[in-house]
Amino acid sequence: MKINKNLAEIITQIRNDNLESRSHSRDLVHWEEDHRLRSGAAKAIVFILPTKGCSWALSNSGGCSICGYLYDNPQHPDFEKIVKSIRGALKGKIQKDEKYSIKLFTSGSFLDKKEIPTEFQVEILKEIAIYNQIEEIVIESRPEYISSNTIAVLSEVININKLEIAIGLESSNNEILRNSINKGFYWEDFEKAVKITIDAGARVKAYLLFKPPFVSEYDSTKDILYSVSKVVESGVDTISINSISIHRGTLLSDLFEKNQYRPPWLWSLFLLCKEIKTQFPDLRVICDIVAGGTKRGAHNCGSCDKDLIEIIREFTLTQDFNILNKDVQCSCYNEWKSYLIHEKLSISDL
Amino acid sequence: MSKIKSGDKLRFFQPLSQIGLSRLLGETRTHHPITPGLISIENTIEKEGYSGFFDLPFPPTFPKNRKDTEVLIWNLPDTKIDKSLAKGFFLSEQPFYASYVPDSLSLENFSKYIDKFQSLDEAHKQIFTLPLSYVESPLLDKIIETDCSLYILTGISALFNNQRKLTETFVKLRERLPPDIAIYLPGPISPAYYSFLIYSGIDLFDNSIAYYTSKNGYFLTSDGAFSVDNHPPCYCKYCNSAKPELLKHNEMILKNAIGRIQYAIKTDTLRSLVEQDIHSSVTFAASLRLYDNNYSENIQSRTPIISSAPLKCIGEESFSHPSVVEFRKRVKERYTPDPLSKIVLLLPCSAKKPYSFSRSHMLFRKAMKDGSKELLNYISELIITSPLSIVPRELENIFPARFYDIPVTGQWSPYEIDETKLILLEILKHYPKETIILNHTYGDGYSQITESIEEMTSFEVINTSDSSHPTSKNSLTKLSSTLKEISQREIKSQERSSVPQLKQIRATADFQYGPGTGKLLFSNAIKFKGKYPRDRQIFYEKKQVATLHKSTGFLSVFPQHAQKIIHHSYNNLKFMDDHIKGSNIFAPGCAEADNRIHPNDEIFVISNNKIIASATAFVSGLDMNKMTSGKLAEIKKKVRN
Repeated sequence: MKINKNLAEIITQIRNDNLESRSHSRDLVHWEEDHRLRSGAAKAIVFILPTKGCSWALSNSGGCSICGYLYDNPQHPDFEKIVKSIRGALKGKIQKDEKYSIKLFTSGSFLDKKEIPTEFQVEILKEIAIYNQIEEIVIESRPEYISSNTIAVLSEVININKLEIAIGLESSNNEILRNSINKGFYWEDFEKAVKITIDAGARVKAYLLFKPPFVSEYDSTKDILYSVSKVVESGVDTISINSISIHRGTLLSDLFEKNQYRPPWLWSLFLLCKEIKTQFPDLRVICDIVAGGTKRGAHNCGSCDKDLIEIIREFTLTQDFNILNKDVQCSCYNEWKSYLIHEKLSISDL
Repeated sequence: MSKIKSGDKLRFFQPLSQIGLSRLLGETRTHHPITPGLISIENTIEKEGYSGFFDLPFPPTFPKNRKDTEVLIWNLPDTKIDKSLAKGFFLSEQPFYASYVPDSLSLENFSKYIDKFQSLDEAHKQIFTLPLSYVESPLLDKIIETDCSLYILTGISALFNNQRKLTETFVKLRERLPPDIAIYLPGPISPAYYSFLIYSGIDLFDNSIAYYTSKNGYFLTSDGAFSVDNHPPCYCKYCNSAKPELLKHNEMILKNAIGRIQYAIKTDTLRSLVEQDIHSSVTFAASLRLYDNNYSENIQSRTPIISSAPLKCIGEESFSHPSVVEFRKRVKERYTPDPLSKIVLLLPCSAKKPYSFSRSHMLFRKAMKDGSKELLNYISELIITSPLSIVPRELENIFPARFYDIPVTGQWSPYEIDETKLILLEILKHYPKETIILNHTYGDGYSQITESIEEMTSFEVINTSDSSHPTSKNSLTKLSSTLKEISQREIKSQERSSVPQLKQIRATADFQYGPGTGKLLFSNAIKFKGKYPRDRQIFYEKKQVATLHKSTGFLSVFPQHAQKIIHHSYNNLKFMDDHIKGSNIFAPGCAEADNRIHPNDEIFVISNNKIIASATAFVSGLDMNKMTSGKLAEIKKKVRN
């Protein structure tokens, strides 16, 4: 059983209570940002496709305990319009002498036929294939939609070497996947998907979640480190440590409002990057801090937040270890230490 | 009563003494005291004052030998480390779900945690994390059966504003968990609460509040937290150095707070300390009252009766002080006056203890002598007092009668009056119908109590102090003349009444060992040596058979002599073997202990229906029956064959 029935029930209840607030229509959102390709600095164009949302989140099991993206997805997607918008955006943005990474995010799985019919998957990629400046195409998918068939369809349109499939693994610990996140799959499923992807010539980026509910920050740090070693072993060359931001309408948000969860400290993320990069110098370590410095995102005491966020951002972009050697000092360092150990001992009731 | 016995089971802790639910726990082999104590959540250089510290890799790094990296190390002196059972415990397992998660979600996981825990090797089975909601779970039995020594209790702070549940939980915890384990309450907890929490059965805290307060600019004092910019002055070395160290100062306050409680346990004054401290928290003040009203049995039978600690009865809570309640209970159930008593004299109490040494009681004595010397030994004196209710003259020297102190106002609460009436009427049932009652008390509170005698009984009551204070000339003269008058009524008996000393030791024995034991132990042929304030030696047929201790007012009876009360004593421990090696009784040696045994009690060790030794109990009989390892009692005297 990959699902904890009791947990799924609670999550489904929360999901159903909040689903009404879902927006009914939304346009394609896109922006440009700095990005690190394997070959060096570049630009990235990020598209958030207005699909109907993640099938797992819409399922009877309620989806993940931490994810509220579904509430932003429209109920009736217009794929013709999506393809048209992408075409227009690319035309406007892509410069001749710049390298690009294109990120196609759906808040679900790009490869899920129920979310994006295969014909439109192909249509969208065709638009991208036009540009040689694009060196990397990132799509996101749950492992169950990754098969040699689904990838084969894409490889007819694009150079498969450019494809990177980002998989939200979150943790390599099945206990956490089952009892904390309600992820619905296990480490073994991820492993299988990685093999298929790599065998097909594409690459995998693994998302790891810091820190899931019911897991202390200390233990989550250990879990990330342990997961990184396992993920690297499976052949993945990019990991992204996703520091939690608390989405409304989720189990996590309920815990947070009851004072039973504190988002991670920036100290932890800073030291995680340092430890991982020391151990795996060639691994691309990405750490995007969503809502950093706010109450619902990773934060410290308030006075050192900005500095640390900037250091981590810079490191993500440059992959330069020296940036992490900067000496940051703040009086909250001791409190962070004591908080972590105390939280570990009592799984925080603060 | 069945209990799990196992010879090879050894827990790290053992109780060295007990007051209520609080315990002084020591390391089993070296007896080095560890709790009540403070755990440092990180490995510090200054270890003094800490019971132990966590040594966790920080921050966590890539695992090499994951299992053995997280350790709790006990702070034992260098000379004792090698002898002790373990240097520290591994912190390897924790339940997945936190204590705030509903049982419906975590049950499956908790049982998995228990299964996993059981499969661990011994070294990793020493710390068990117990979420609050599983205190009553039958699954817990599996852990209790192991020799796990430390329970980390999580989630209890959520109950800090729910006094009813808080007290219930504490009581359940103590009923459930073995007495020779330590309970550790992690997290930031104000040192002002330590005394109450320790009294409720918590053994260990940590210093996380020192970090928390220091970070947020709070200056801890024994009275609570103040802003670092505006706080009462402190002259400790950390505050007086050129660069004041707030964290160190705050740590010191925590250490002092624990030290103060350790001292209170050693000196038997914890309850007074708790009564003093709870006034800083509404929840805990309410919790203590709930304890006293609903669960006092639990605490009472674990509170020493034999003590010589001063007992301050200042607040309303003191009326429910376990020693006080136990005294009232024993006077009611165990006291029988000398059968030849013809007159009951009711007297007010005095500030000076024992009462006999006070000016007022000396005046009463003189007036009694002036009245009738022959009658003196036929008078049974009962002193009416708050909060002990009734102290018979024979028991005025024992704890707590000789050691309590109250703010005297002359006002009685309705509850005190009711309780005192009840006990007085109960005692009066022992006297024959024709007994005359002299009421030499004065004042509204006293009269409300004594009125009940006339209402509820048919005794003849003569008030000798109804118009003025008992020590006034008027009242004293009336007492003398009344006694003179009675002496002429010729109520003298043929039998010679016992001397006061004999009455005293008989009443003390009844109080200490159970009703009827005084008469069995001490016949009229008893001889005394040594006068107050020295210990009084008691001889029978030229052999010493007992001692009356001046420090506590209690007896110790030599085991040979105690054979006389073997079937009447409430202080018996049935021993597994027929002779005792060494000078201690350990848990595996105890077949059954009387549940009425209190810590510090003198107990009799029984084998094959024979008393083979006398001993001093460390813990209550209730806990002796639950312990699987550790010392229960220390032998005082063995019977030589």
